[in-house]
Amino acid sequence: MIASGRLPPPRQPVVRLRGITKTYRIGREIEVRALRGVDLDVMPGEFVAIMGPSGSGKSTLMNVLGCLDAPDAGTYELAGQTVASLSDGALAAIRNRHVGFVFQTFNLLPRLNAIENVELPLVYGGDGRDRRPRAAAALEQVGLGDRLHHRPSELSGGQQQRVAIARALLNDPSMILADEPTGNLDSRSSAEILAIFQRLNAQGKTVVMVTHEPDVAAHCRRIVRMRDGVVAHDDPVAAPRRAEEEIAAGIGAAE
Amino acid sequence: MKLYDAFRSALQSLVTNKLRSALTMLGVIIGVASVIAMVAVGNGASQQVQDRILALGSNLITVQAAQLSDQGLRGAGAQSQTLTLADMRTLQDQLGTSIAAIEAEQGAGRWQVTAGATNWNTSVTGVSEQYPAVRDWNVQLGEFFTQADLNVNASVAVIGATTALNLFGDADPVGQTIKLRQAFAGRGGSSARILNFKIVGVLEAKGSTFGFSRDDQILVPITTAQRVLTGRRDVVNTVVVKALDNTVMTRTTDDVFNTLLVAHKIEDPAAADFTVTNQNDTLAALDQITGLFTLLLGAIGGISLLVGGIGIMNIMLVTVNERTREIGIRKAVGARRGDILQQFLIESIALTGVGGVLGILLGWGISQAVQRIAQAQGLTLLLLVTTGTVLIAVGVSVGIGLLFGLYPAMRAARLHPIQALRYE
Ligand SMILES: Nc1ncnc2c1ncn2[C@@H]1O[C@H](COP(=O)(O)OP(=O)(O)OP(=O)(O)O)[C@@H](O)[C@H]1O
Ligand SMILES: [Mg+2]
Repeated sequence: MIASGRLPPPRQPVVRLRGITKTYRIGREIEVRALRGVDLDVMPGEFVAIMGPSGSGKSTLMNVLGCLDAPDAGTYELAGQTVASLSDGALAAIRNRHVGFVFQTFNLLPRLNAIENVELPLVYGGDGRDRRPRAAAALEQVGLGDRLHHRPSELSGGQQQRVAIARALLNDPSMILADEPTGNLDSRSSAEILAIFQRLNAQGKTVVMVTHEPDVAAHCRRIVRMRDGVVAHDDPVAAPRRAEEEIAAGIGAAE
Repeated sequence: MKLYDAFRSALQSLVTNKLRSALTMLGVIIGVASVIAMVAVGNGASQQVQDRILALGSNLITVQAAQLSDQGLRGAGAQSQTLTLADMRTLQDQLGTSIAAIEAEQGAGRWQVTAGATNWNTSVTGVSEQYPAVRDWNVQLGEFFTQADLNVNASVAVIGATTALNLFGDADPVGQTIKLRQAFAGRGGSSARILNFKIVGVLEAKGSTFGFSRDDQILVPITTAQRVLTGRRDVVNTVVVKALDNTVMTRTTDDVFNTLLVAHKIEDPAAADFTVTNQNDTLAALDQITGLFTLLLGAIGGISLLVGGIGIMNIMLVTVNERTREIGIRKAVGARRGDILQQFLIESIALTGVGGVLGILLGWGISQAVQRIAQAQGLTLLLLVTTGTVLIAVGVSVGIGLLFGLYPAMRAARLHPIQALRYE
């Protein structure tokens, strides 16, 4: 097993993908080759944006990265461990310890309040003893210290997404995967989310984020562009924009 | 996932869908209640039968003259010769202290009884002196007649509590004389015999079983019955032996049988001209019958429980469907298949478990109500809810939750995380 929640040694990538393919079959005849051989390395502490036209395989790639879906072929090493051919239970443990997901649609449980949603990863693994205070601390970190007992329906979209981020942080995962986290948010809320990601990244957290918006991607330190199921371009961002400064200046991030 | 979390989350989701949970539970409640009530009827009947048999005395071994077969002794009155008072005395002498008590009985039919101006009609039985010991039935007033009374065919009688009340009201019957009268529809019109008996004792009241009073009867010395009342001088209908305790029933039964064989000079046990029945055997046979009866009633109740179970399955399938996204989210944060399976199983068990407990209460209530109503109507109907029934009911309702919750829970557990997350 991978040492839980620890950062891997400096020179070892968090993610190492080689020749990853994924084909969806609809009925007997139609095949959709969503991924056609993706090679990608992500080093610890990176903040990567994945861009590309609709249908280019970004979400499929994220699902593979997060062990929510298994590739058809290729190798995937997560924090030094080969992930292919792991059992369902082992994959669940990896999702629990090594991956923090943030979705476009927030995906909070509607019946639970903020703190109960955030502590969910600790219900399924890790040390559950002090999970209340830890969940409260995570909510504090994303600026929701005063909304601990609100249900998702009592929170704004931006607040819900921040609850989701707090949940993703709880088990101190090796990386945070965010699939269009700002897709459903206005520019102000988007800037706040990006500010949180930048702060976490500054603390050493690895973040991989899918986005359609160049303005959002400009806050990352590296942009991976996909096309037709492969990585088409992979460029560093010379001078990432600072979301916190933009908020202070009163400008929305994606305007 | 810890069990505590699972239970909390299960109860939470049941409370969230109050009406639906209540309606689903109703199926289980009705099912369990009907099983409880039905089995209570069966248990009650079984208990009543047993009580009735044991009310005739406990640890009893009964000897009766054999039903005549073709190879048996022929002719009228032949049966009467096969079991006599002498047989009873032989058993008494030979078995001695290895039995608790022994008595012989001869029915003398129904007689018209008068005490002063009061008339009554009741049955008269000739018995021997150890009747109270054998039947666990003491006299309340006066004394039971003795062997000396038997020896002289004394015209004495011990009467039941109801008979005493009807003939004498509140007055003390002991020492009073009653007249027994039997009308003959003989040749040349009807004539009657009138016999005087002195009352020496009154039996304590036993109450009635199955609505038929055992307190209305007259007991006389068997010799008097044989010579004076019936004229069947040597006939004994039954000899009843009381064993020392329940554990020696089989041995004592064998002793009685063998002693009588020798007394009757019969070598082949198969040719015995009498039968010996043991109360335990009777009880066991009856138990088997009432057990079957109870099982049948339980099965009828079980059908409604099955319907309740199908309701559970139905609603759990709906629940799993509705919460597909939740399942996806839980899987995304690290829930294993087992965690999801456990969550939904516990939810269905919580449904049936709570339903089961409420059903037990309802079933018990129904049993009580039915019994009250029956009593008010003058029927003695016993409905018995036993601990065993309750435990089985709890077990069965939890089992139903497991059984009918398993398929929906497995469907939930097997969902692919991505497909579950995409579900709208
Ligand atoms: N479950 C599925 N079954 C069949 N085809 C699928 C499935 N999921 C994705 N696809 C197909 O795979 C391709 C890649 O889909 P994917 O969701 O990865 O695209 P994307 O880059 O995330 O697009 P978008 O920007 O619109 O979110 C698409 O052509 C899509 O139709
Ligand atoms: Mg997508």
